[in-house]
Amino acid sequence: MEENHQATQIPKAGVSMGSDRKALNIEREEICIETRGLNLYYGEDQALKDINLRIPRNRVTAFIGPSGCGKSTLLRCFNRMNDLIDICRIEGEISIDGQEIHDRNIDVAEHRRRVGMVFQKPNPFPKSIFENVAYGLRLQGVNDRRKLAEVVERALRAAALWDEVKDRLDDNAFGLSGGQQQRLVIARAIAIEPEVILLDEPCSALDPISTAKVEELIIELKDRYTIVIVTHNMQQAARVSDFTAYMYMGELIEFDDTSRLFTNPRRRATEDYITGRYG
Amino acid sequence: MSNNATQAGQRQSYLPSAEVMARRRRSRYLADGAARWMVRAGGGGVVVALALIFVYLFSEVLPLFKGASVERQDSYVTADSEATVPAYMALERYGEIGMRYSRSGELVYFRLGDGEVIRRVDLAVPEGVRVTSVGNGEPRARRVAFGLSDGTAIIVDHNHELEFPEAGVRNVVPDPSFPVGPDPVLVDDSGEPLTAIAVQESRDDTGVAAQTADGRMLFVRYRVRTGFLSGEREIEREQHDLPAFGTPVTHLQLSANLWNLIAADAGGSLIYWDISRPAEAVMRDRREVAGDQGESITSLQFLNGTFSAVVGTSEGNLSQWFLVRDETEDAGDNVFYLARARNFEQHPGAIMAIQPEYARKGFVAVDDAGHLGIHYGTSARTLFLDRVSDEPLVGVAVSPVNERILVEDRAGTITEFDVWNEHPETSFHALWSKVWYEGRSDPDYVWQASSGSDSFEPKYSMVPLTVGTLKAAFFAMLFAMPLAIAGAIYTAYFMSPRLRGYVKPTIEVMEALPTVILGFLAGLWLAPFLENHIPAVFTVLIGLPLSFLFIAWAWSQLPRGFRNRVPGGWEAVILMPVVCLLVWGLVELSPLIEIWFFDGSMRQWFTDIGISYDQRNALVVGIAMGFAVIPTIFSIAEDAVFTVPRHLTQGSLALGATPWQTVTRVVLLTASPGIFSAVMIGFGRAVGETMIVLMATGNSPVVNFNIFEGMRTLSANIAVELPETAVNSTHFRVLFLAGLVLFAMTFIVNTIAEIVRQRLRARYSSL
Repeated sequence: MEENHQATQIPKAGVSMGSDRKALNIEREEICIETRGLNLYYGEDQALKDINLRIPRNRVTAFIGPSGCGKSTLLRCFNRMNDLIDICRIEGEISIDGQEIHDRNIDVAEHRRRVGMVFQKPNPFPKSIFENVAYGLRLQGVNDRRKLAEVVERALRAAALWDEVKDRLDDNAFGLSGGQQQRLVIARAIAIEPEVILLDEPCSALDPISTAKVEELIIELKDRYTIVIVTHNMQQAARVSDFTAYMYMGELIEFDDTSRLFTNPRRRATEDYITGRYG
Repeated sequence: MSNNATQAGQRQSYLPSAEVMARRRRSRYLADGAARWMVRAGGGGVVVALALIFVYLFSEVLPLFKGASVERQDSYVTADSEATVPAYMALERYGEIGMRYSRSGELVYFRLGDGEVIRRVDLAVPEGVRVTSVGNGEPRARRVAFGLSDGTAIIVDHNHELEFPEAGVRNVVPDPSFPVGPDPVLVDDSGEPLTAIAVQESRDDTGVAAQTADGRMLFVRYRVRTGFLSGEREIEREQHDLPAFGTPVTHLQLSANLWNLIAADAGGSLIYWDISRPAEAVMRDRREVAGDQGESITSLQFLNGTFSAVVGTSEGNLSQWFLVRDETEDAGDNVFYLARARNFEQHPGAIMAIQPEYARKGFVAVDDAGHLGIHYGTSARTLFLDRVSDEPLVGVAVSPVNERILVEDRAGTITEFDVWNEHPETSFHALWSKVWYEGRSDPDYVWQASSGSDSFEPKYSMVPLTVGTLKAAFFAMLFAMPLAIAGAIYTAYFMSPRLRGYVKPTIEVMEALPTVILGFLAGLWLAPFLENHIPAVFTVLIGLPLSFLFIAWAWSQLPRGFRNRVPGGWEAVILMPVVCLLVWGLVELSPLIEIWFFDGSMRQWFTDIGISYDQRNALVVGIAMGFAVIPTIFSIAEDAVFTVPRHLTQGSLALGATPWQTVTRVVLLTASPGIFSAVMIGFGRAVGETMIVLMATGNSPVVNFNIFEGMRTLSANIAVELPETAVNSTHFRVLFLAGLVLFAMTFIVNTIAEIVRQRLRARYSSL
């Protein structure tokens, strides 16, 4: 609560993205994630260039852009997954709820608990459905079967998976379909009560029906979580997100209200991309 | 069409013509098919080769478990055989002549095949004197004694000799001799009839034990001296009275060293006199042999070596007895008692005669129901038992090379049998269970395949070798498994990629180290080194992990700025000097610890508290063989951990797991099939490893799991003994059996490993 309170104190300066940038109505929103002058290098190659971005709380924010534009890299900055890459170097500031995430007294594991992440490919662990969802709690030392059962049920219900799996919680998670696996992974992420959920192309490996279910889920979840989603699918971005950032070649080209960005982009490059003229 | 043409004109197609492509396609299919068949042939060839190895091993081993085969040859009647009762029968090794003593005192040499008498020797039984008893010595001594009714005895050797009258002709010629002269020698100076007699040759002496009609027991020792100048034979005689025994004795047998006298009495008991000091001879033991009322002992013979006696009864029971040292405290030194070691398959009729084999612990027995039985002591096997005659059988002889048996029935018909009985020594029981070997106080597992003595009982228990193999593998795995698996996890998961690039190939190169060098180092350097630094083994074992923990803690206390200067994943390098220093320090400290706590020698201290310590022991083997096995386990386990999909570890980390939690909860679980097969393959290698155990174990076939004692493994045993065994002997085949057991063990381990791995993989891989 204290952190949230602090977050509201952050001065809501306009997003400075270019000279022609107009103030977004983001200022009305509460800021959850903010980057300032973020540069990221893989060895000699610069993957992100001077990213300045404010992501509002309890909204769905989508990152779109062609392959290799840096949207996944940016997403992975938020829960410090890039730490795992030896040659990766980060400059600039990233703060979540006003707290600089590279701060010395930030515990990486605790930070990642607060900022959950769902990957492109469903990655359940080779365990039962129950144990997959309970995994994060067990990491925190919760081993009381009753508490676990309660949380697992709650998380699976939240992920709209409960009715499908309630009778086979002890089956191996690999027995689920791809879409169910992805929702299981989301359930696993929300079981540990994160504040932010990062979704890295969560539907790219799914069929259309499963995709629809996951999208519904995302919309349902945004009341409680700040959601950032990377997607290749512009229709998906348009359907689920409140705000959209268009990135190209490591730069943030445009960030705006989704409806505005898709109907009336400010930049020529954005328009080319969303109308399919790009590539 | 025109569209195509214009396109073709615009864009030159480089594809070959349809015809060329068709030809191409055919050759491609051909290559494809050929490759498929070659792969199949290769795979099938491997299976066939393995099967052939198995079949070959099996074919070498199979004869061990075959019984004896007996084939009836000629039957005939020889001189007087219808009229007289046989007292003793014998064969010589060339299968040309047989010898038969009758109870009335004749020795007949007859030709095998037709029974024609070659020579007849009438013993010089004086007028008015009868033969009252007959006794025989060891078969190879060919000595028989006739006890007479006037207290004297005649001792005969039914020898033969070889003549070579012309090239290529060999004749076996009877050559009977009388070691103490052809005339009766005095046994009982009071002239009582000798109702039972035993004879035995011991170096130049002849020992005779007898019971007289008035119940006294005598032991007489004859020594023949040839005068140095006169050349006259002079017989020294030394008579001892033994403690008498109430009931009349029916059978007497003397051991080859003339220390033990065994008798069967009319009451069905076995009696043992210790006559090693004849002047103070004592009757040590008396045991009931016959169970029921009316059962009596009908035959008593020593087996080869005269360590154990076989007793046959009127009920057809056969049992083996030998002397066992009395190890109770107040028994005194060298006090023995009679022990029934085993029973043999019962004959349907009363045992009429027993004949021991010449160089093995087997014997043949005949009964009054016409049955011939071939039995073997150590393995307790009855290799043959069948009715061969309608008449009761009264005499039997076996050839010195165990290939011919002669039986005589009550009607005097002698029948010859050809025998195949190559491997009576082994049975499943003798190989895998405790066996009571001659002279031992208890049944035990023993491997002792050969010895210098002719009367040696080979001991072929697979248990010490199998246990030794498992023991060596166990201690090797105890050393190798934690190091290899922990190393694999660290290398695959925590180490920086560059350092991993050095470490992994280095450890894999270790695998190429010839094991003979490892064994050599272990046996000649490590074993004495450890012996001199036993405390260091323990202090290093405790100190090393503690120092790791301490270093890790100290590291975490260092300022972050300093720590950041060490690239991630390289922290382990700082452990190197610590490990080296600590081990060096503890080794240097070891003699001091010995002086402070163990009176100067920890080895002596171990001995004092009852732990035996061999220089070449399981600890040395564990380290040396562990060293050989580590690269195998490490390499496979490292691959398994390294190939755990990134998205699983990232998924775990993204849920707020620390790297350690990720390793223990996700990585190890997912890599478990690979780690398991790494361990099993390492175990299989440790089981089959030869050179290291050969050189560093001391090769003592003991059955225990003491880390400070050695062992002998199946593989090392084959390496040690195969060069010195006779081809196709029982020993030779048992070594093949050891090979088969080894083969089966590795086969089973690998099969289990594969099955478990498949199941784990089905469970833990989606990927």
